[in-house]
Amino acid sequence: MGKRVKSVSYAKWGYIFILPFFIVYAIFSFYPMITTFYYSFFENYNQGLTTIGPNFVGLKNYANLFTPNEGRFEILEYTKNTMIMWILGAVPQFVFSLLLAVIFTSVRLKIKGQRFFKTVIYMPNLIMAAAYSMLFYVMFSEVGPVGMMAKTMISQDFVVFNDVAASRNVVAFINFLMWFGNTTIMLMAGIMGIDGSLFEAASIDGATGTQVFFRITLPLLAPIFVYVAITSLIGGLQMFDVPQIIGGATGAPNGSTRTLIMWLNNVVTGNAKDYGKGGAISVMIFIITAVLSFAVYRTMVKEDPTAKKAKRRNTHGLL
Amino acid sequence: MKNFNKKIALIAALACAGTMLAGCNSNTTSDDSNSGNDTPANDGGNSSSDGDSGNADAGSNAGGGDYEAAKTAGTGTLTLPEGEGKVFNIYCWNSDFKNYVEKYYTAPAGVTFNWIEVANEGGAYQTALDQALMNQESASADDKVDLFLAEADYILKYANTDLTQDVTKLGVQNWGVGYDYTYDAATSTSGVLKGVSWQANPSVFIYRRSIAKDVLGTDDPAEVQAALSTWDKVDEVAAQAKDKGYVMFPSPLETYRSFANNSNVSYLSGDKFALTPAFNSWIEQAEKYVENGWATAYGLWDDEKQAQMGTDGKMFACVGPAWYFNFCMGTAQEQTNGDWAICVGPSEHFWGGTWLLAATGSDNEAVIADLMNAFTVNEDIMDKILSDALEFPNNKNVVNKYANDASYGLDFLGGQNHIAMMAQCAEKITWDPSLHTQYDQTFNESLPNAYLEYLKGICDKDTALSNFYITLSEVAPQITHD
Repeated sequence: MGKRVKSVSYAKWGYIFILPFFIVYAIFSFYPMITTFYYSFFENYNQGLTTIGPNFVGLKNYANLFTPNEGRFEILEYTKNTMIMWILGAVPQFVFSLLLAVIFTSVRLKIKGQRFFKTVIYMPNLIMAAAYSMLFYVMFSEVGPVGMMAKTMISQDFVVFNDVAASRNVVAFINFLMWFGNTTIMLMAGIMGIDGSLFEAASIDGATGTQVFFRITLPLLAPIFVYVAITSLIGGLQMFDVPQIIGGATGAPNGSTRTLIMWLNNVVTGNAKDYGKGGAISVMIFIITAVLSFAVYRTMVKEDPTAKKAKRRNTHGLL
Repeated sequence: MKNFNKKIALIAALACAGTMLAGCNSNTTSDDSNSGNDTPANDGGNSSSDGDSGNADAGSNAGGGDYEAAKTAGTGTLTLPEGEGKVFNIYCWNSDFKNYVEKYYTAPAGVTFNWIEVANEGGAYQTALDQALMNQESASADDKVDLFLAEADYILKYANTDLTQDVTKLGVQNWGVGYDYTYDAATSTSGVLKGVSWQANPSVFIYRRSIAKDVLGTDDPAEVQAALSTWDKVDEVAAQAKDKGYVMFPSPLETYRSFANNSNVSYLSGDKFALTPAFNSWIEQAEKYVENGWATAYGLWDDEKQAQMGTDGKMFACVGPAWYFNFCMGTAQEQTNGDWAICVGPSEHFWGGTWLLAATGSDNEAVIADLMNAFTVNEDIMDKILSDALEFPNNKNVVNKYANDASYGLDFLGGQNHIAMMAQCAEKITWDPSLHTQYDQTFNESLPNAYLEYLKGICDKDTALSNFYITLSEVAPQITHD
């Protein structure tokens, strides 16, 4: 007789099943990330068909990012553009999605055809951002229906894409439309994870809808909300396709819709293929993302004890 | 919800698969088994003119030699020499040339044409091409780039390197029947001919007949030309047109190339950039036109400009070569067909063009020569380029045949024989290599477009220039300026 098997370990199968992800991640994400850091210390670009470098230059690429180019701090300019367009789209998106999520999950309203509505509001996200942007570009252009309406309503000289605020708002609006469905579904999952007895207890105690929303739903939703806010922020900082179509590579009008990633794209894929500068920009975007995500996390996870409890409960509810 | 997720997963998977397929090439096999007589176009020994284009007039065979043989190129009579590759790789940014090759050219038996088409969006074509050329040495024989297409604005970037080869050694030269500027453009700074163009692109004023009649009282090309023969006269006409409720040009950029092409100063001296007097004249004119309402401040490719070509359009004229009015004036072709005509305008210039350049390391040198000669001196093919494809061919014999044919005309231009008008213009176009740089595309597109924002009133003049410098620093970090 052989050895008696005391217990069977299935753990290795778990590891084997998650292995493909780690392999793919290592090759396509982790390795490029490390090389990005590495190349940011080199001078490496093309002059026509001649490649300069790679020559080690230390922190020169970073120093260049913080030296004014044409008297302008490009990195600040583009961070500002990106943040403005993100906030313009994200704030209404949070408010609107929260409202929809509450309505859809409301026990009192019991809305019928939920799945239909969920599918419809998620739909814009399935369309390619570039295609969606082109549609909007045509609509808001001077000969498009909205553009012409704006002309009659505002002034004959008003051209949407010549106006900084209007152009940024169009970009923000497209992002809003594309992502509010996704956010709504996230928040709905969050709300449905909240213990139903709490709502019941509240209604027995005679709480009004507003009270339930502000005293129960909102605080217990905080962890999910933080998650939604941070993923939205990261997505926002990587904003590229929509403004690229609306403003072109230069971010018209007057560079006001040029985002950080559009800048990176021009530097790295343009004729010069400046990998050194591109690496430095990427690292800076990484740092900016980390700092802002941390800031968002900090401001939202202040009101504590309940939030922590809710988090535990929510993880159960969700998974 | 589960089903829904599955659908999303399916869509995502399809999207991924789709991106993998994007960028695949199409293969065209010449199934021509005609291996008749061998009158090879490339007989070697024709390297007489070292790309130096001091050639004689139309029709005279500058290099003597094998002009007669070259004329039969592209008829499928070439037998592949020993050791020639079977796959002929061509890089291009759209399918125009590919279509002409497939329609008019008979490839030598046994060669497969492999077209690698990369759209020129955001410089993607050059990026892909650069990559391929830089990997040329390590690529296997059938994967090497044999021929690639380039535009005037960046042809020097390739012609000036060893990545392109001397085509006179392959049996191609300036035979004297093409327009000299097309050969000068494909010649490296050291005087070596690296390729040819199958078209010439004299850019002309394309005006609306009915509006010309209303403003000038005539729509006859010769009389309109007389009224537009200098910039001062154009100003006068613009003012008259304004009084009648029209605009002279849909975009202030229309006239940019008139000035830039006729500049006698380069934007670059060494690695230093400076605005040229020609550019300053242009921006002065553009300011005047926009301020006076003689031009609307649109871009060259804006939908608004297209709208102005329609039935209710108010534009007097735009500027462009044959490919522009035949392929880019869609609205006009649909709605105002026949209500257009062309005249030369104040100064001869060109816009665009497609050059065929021979890549170094090609294993299909005989086919390169055959294709190049076919699309320059084979008069049957060049005739079809003119009559069937409606392009302006780079062959004076064919051009003159149509220019002298009183019965020839384009319906779109109300029956005008545009070839006669454009032929005069093409003769006068020059290309001075010292005025061109490999960054011409940035200078000729990004620079005026940056100033367009100023002309639109979005930013001031200094900001426009500063915006351009930022673009320039991304294209060529080494270039400085005052």
